[in-house]
Amino acid sequence: MGASTVSLRSRYWNKEAQLAYLLMLPAVVLLLSLMVYPIAYVFMMSLYRTDRLGRLQEFAGMAAYLEVFSTRVFWETTVRTAVWTVLAVVVKAVLGMIIALVLNVEYTGRRTARMLFIIPWASSVPISAMLWKWVYDHEFGLLNQTLRATGIWTNPPVWLGAPTSAFISTIWVDIWVGVPFMALIFLAGMQAISRDLYESGDIDGANATQKFVHITIPGIRHLILIATMLSSLWTFNDFNTVFILTKGGPGTSTEILITAVYKHGFEWLRFSRAAVMAVVTFVILTMLSLIYARMFFRQERDL
Amino acid sequence: MRRMRSIGVLVMVLLLLTTVLYAGGQREEAKPTVTVLWALYDGLTEEYRAELQSAFMAAHPDINLDIVPVPWDQMYDRITTSLAGGRPPEVSVIGTRWALEFMELDAIVPMEDYVSQATIDNILPGTKEAVIEGRLMGLPVAAGARILAINTEITDKVPATMEEMRAEALRVTTDDRYGLIMPGRKHTELTDFAYYLYAAGGDFFEMEPDGTYGRSTVNSAAGVKALEFMVQLATEDEVVPPGFMATTRMEAHPVFYSGRAGYVMIGAWVESALADAGATFDVKYAQIPGFEGTPSTPLVITDSLVIFKDAANKEAAGKFIDFFYQDEWKARFDELIGFPPVTASAAELPQFQTPLYEALNEAAVTAKPWPLMEGFAEVTDIVWDAVTAAYLGQATPQAALDDAARQIDRMRGF
Amino acid sequence: MSNWRTRNRPLVILLTLLLLGLMLFPFFVMVSTMLKSSQEIYVVPATWIPRNLTFANFTRVWIEYHLLLYFRSSLIVALGTMALNILVSVPAAYAVARLRFLGRKAVMYLLLAIQMFSPVIVVISLFRIFARAQLIDTYTGLILANTVFTISFATWMMTGYFSAIPSEIEEAARIDGCSRVGTLLRVMLPIAAPGLVTVMIYNFITAWNEFLFALTFINARAKMPLTLGIYQFVGRWSTQWELLTTSAFLALIPVLVLFYLIEKQLVAGLASGAVKG
Repeated sequence: MGASTVSLRSRYWNKEAQLAYLLMLPAVVLLLSLMVYPIAYVFMMSLYRTDRLGRLQEFAGMAAYLEVFSTRVFWETTVRTAVWTVLAVVVKAVLGMIIALVLNVEYTGRRTARMLFIIPWASSVPISAMLWKWVYDHEFGLLNQTLRATGIWTNPPVWLGAPTSAFISTIWVDIWVGVPFMALIFLAGMQAISRDLYESGDIDGANATQKFVHITIPGIRHLILIATMLSSLWTFNDFNTVFILTKGGPGTSTEILITAVYKHGFEWLRFSRAAVMAVVTFVILTMLSLIYARMFFRQERDL
Repeated sequence: MRRMRSIGVLVMVLLLLTTVLYAGGQREEAKPTVTVLWALYDGLTEEYRAELQSAFMAAHPDINLDIVPVPWDQMYDRITTSLAGGRPPEVSVIGTRWALEFMELDAIVPMEDYVSQATIDNILPGTKEAVIEGRLMGLPVAAGARILAINTEITDKVPATMEEMRAEALRVTTDDRYGLIMPGRKHTELTDFAYYLYAAGGDFFEMEPDGTYGRSTVNSAAGVKALEFMVQLATEDEVVPPGFMATTRMEAHPVFYSGRAGYVMIGAWVESALADAGATFDVKYAQIPGFEGTPSTPLVITDSLVIFKDAANKEAAGKFIDFFYQDEWKARFDELIGFPPVTASAAELPQFQTPLYEALNEAAVTAKPWPLMEGFAEVTDIVWDAVTAAYLGQATPQAALDDAARQIDRMRGF
Repeated sequence: MSNWRTRNRPLVILLTLLLLGLMLFPFFVMVSTMLKSSQEIYVVPATWIPRNLTFANFTRVWIEYHLLLYFRSSLIVALGTMALNILVSVPAAYAVARLRFLGRKAVMYLLLAIQMFSPVIVVISLFRIFARAQLIDTYTGLILANTVFTISFATWMMTGYFSAIPSEIEEAARIDGCSRVGTLLRVMLPIAAPGLVTVMIYNFITAWNEFLFALTFINARAKMPLTLGIYQFVGRWSTQWELLTTSAFLALIPVLVLFYLIEKQLVAGLASGAVKG
């Protein structure tokens, strides 16, 4: 046993490992102090009674958890968050795929089109959300004016005014922000697929749909997985869009967990409750990330 | 390789630029800095803010003043975060109803400690709403009752009761003209429900004998009557813009400014907002009526300036407030945002003797403020959700308000 | 290759135009609004082409609202974040990609896990820490916060780029007598330069577009970045959309230029770096 301890030590505390720790030191110090500690504090807040400024008062165990879990609004919000995330990511993937497919066709202006499709990704989400709010305005906004004037929809809904349409319009803005990312990743994948595969498909007499299903999709399968996982993290955490467009309204019809955390914490100063919901988001996201990490490391092993 | 080199050069230039800009940006002045969170009232120009800032610094070269414009929607969150972090600004404009909350948190100091007696004596007694436990915790900065503004091109009628207002609104509503404006989207303030609640003789809470707030009374007969009336106007009579559910006050009022609504219940800023929008129609001002059999009881809203206890330069903050409350600045401020003056000396100035100010002064006589209580932000949110549910037909006004009252009482520990 | 594509090219172009209309709609509205006067904003029916075309909003945001001040703050914060991030992430990425040590996997898991936290959740604790350290209302505070939230992405990307470099190249340099740090600086970084630039610009854009930290940590007007400065056009009684859209337009231009520089690299990095780790 003694020998193996020594060898372990020389294996893990040699010059190479020391250098590695030294190189990682700044990053780790920053992350521990400004990321891990704040998150730990959130856990503490969820287990303590807090005053209106978020200072810990006395240990309260699971009291705040029971309080939050006993409200119907919390469960509705959690389910809505799940629907929000899944729906948005699916639409992003589908729309991204369509855009990637049209960009993969050669024609003049393709480069310009590609550049234009990127704009929503490059621009700042809070500013984009403000723009959309103006677009959606029922009286003065150009969206409904255009729909009416062109006769496409003579009586368009008040986008942010009713629960269903507000949910759709809010989720659309989230989708809109996330589509270019998907499209470009997919496009990169498609362009990496060997042309030989398509040619042999032609020889076998495959039609366009068959080639898409049997060549394109398998060719970019791992990219679809990675992109949807990344996108679901961003979608789940999309605070800015909801906060700026609806603040969760009408009623709570567009409230998702991350905006509920903000509302309970910063607007109502109920920090324990906010912390509980934050912890719930940790749990959900950790599960998502574990799936992600597993995929990630499996891919690494495969290569 | 040349490309690599040019990238390398670019990177170096950028890093150098950072250092230079950064060093320039970080240069702190040794003078005490007074930070003022400045609510963005309509009509309040950037020019005025800049002039006030430089005039004060010219008069007090030993103090650095930073007047920070903050949209009203962000104000509350911004203050609470800075308090939670222990680094509040020196001075902020707040909704007076928040003062109690901040006092409970031991976050603000009495005005008398830092502001001169001359300034305080000049404040009109009726506007000193922020007196808590005998101490003046905030100076009124904008105080005004709400009134009814009437577009005379659409209607001439001054309604004596809410019922009359409804009848006239029904009469004048056409395809592109609305009888009335009604903001229906949740925002920081519950103004519209309060207009109708107070008009029906209702209130948010019952008062305990010791002067504290008891159980919620939003579901009283008056409360239900108010909400039923609102729902009727909005969803059955359809006298309000169809997009009302999506608009806060900020988005709803421009419909009136653009000349397409007969009535709007609004504050004193209406005149500056109309001018800004280039409105050409004539506007008449009247009182927000009561329901039949109840007297007119408009909502009065005051915003205050407070000084935060944990701020670094409170003495200098007091000097800024003294400076700001001189007629030269405060009266111009009132005029820009269109609020009635809060100081005795400014009240006598000729620019405040117009029909708008007459209506405002009359309203002030019978007006009623928000409840001054801790946790009102959450109460506001709960009632908003009840109002929304009633608009959407998800619950009857009675059921929605019963539920709201239950939630409010539970939250406040009854 | 496929004749389907050639045959249906007009259809594809039509579809592209439709999709572009969908994706760029708010930007069309932005351009239309920023060329209107304040009086034409609240006019019904809303018009696409302003009746009185005006460029006055540009001078107004520039002179009356001092947009340059906010540009300067944004630039400092974005450049600062970019610089600090690279100083911290590149060594860490090199260690993860090239060195063997106990806990390598743990570090990778940590980096991945940290990606998932939203700024909303840590902002209040960060505020306390910054308040105690006198970092409220400083660029340093904002740069630190932005850096912490970009470290994991940057390290991850750089790890991908470093791993893609054949180890023979590094070994050759080591045999020639280069130290580890020497190889990193003189061999690895030049080869990974396109990746490095991509990561730097991406950090710059992230910091440039950031909103919540700025909202929470900055009170001083002189230090507000653009995203916050633009918000002053949301008044208490109405929003000055013509000024807001003008500023949004101006804020978007530099980001777009930078984004186009790195877009191909970024996508390739996201796609392959993510897989190869």
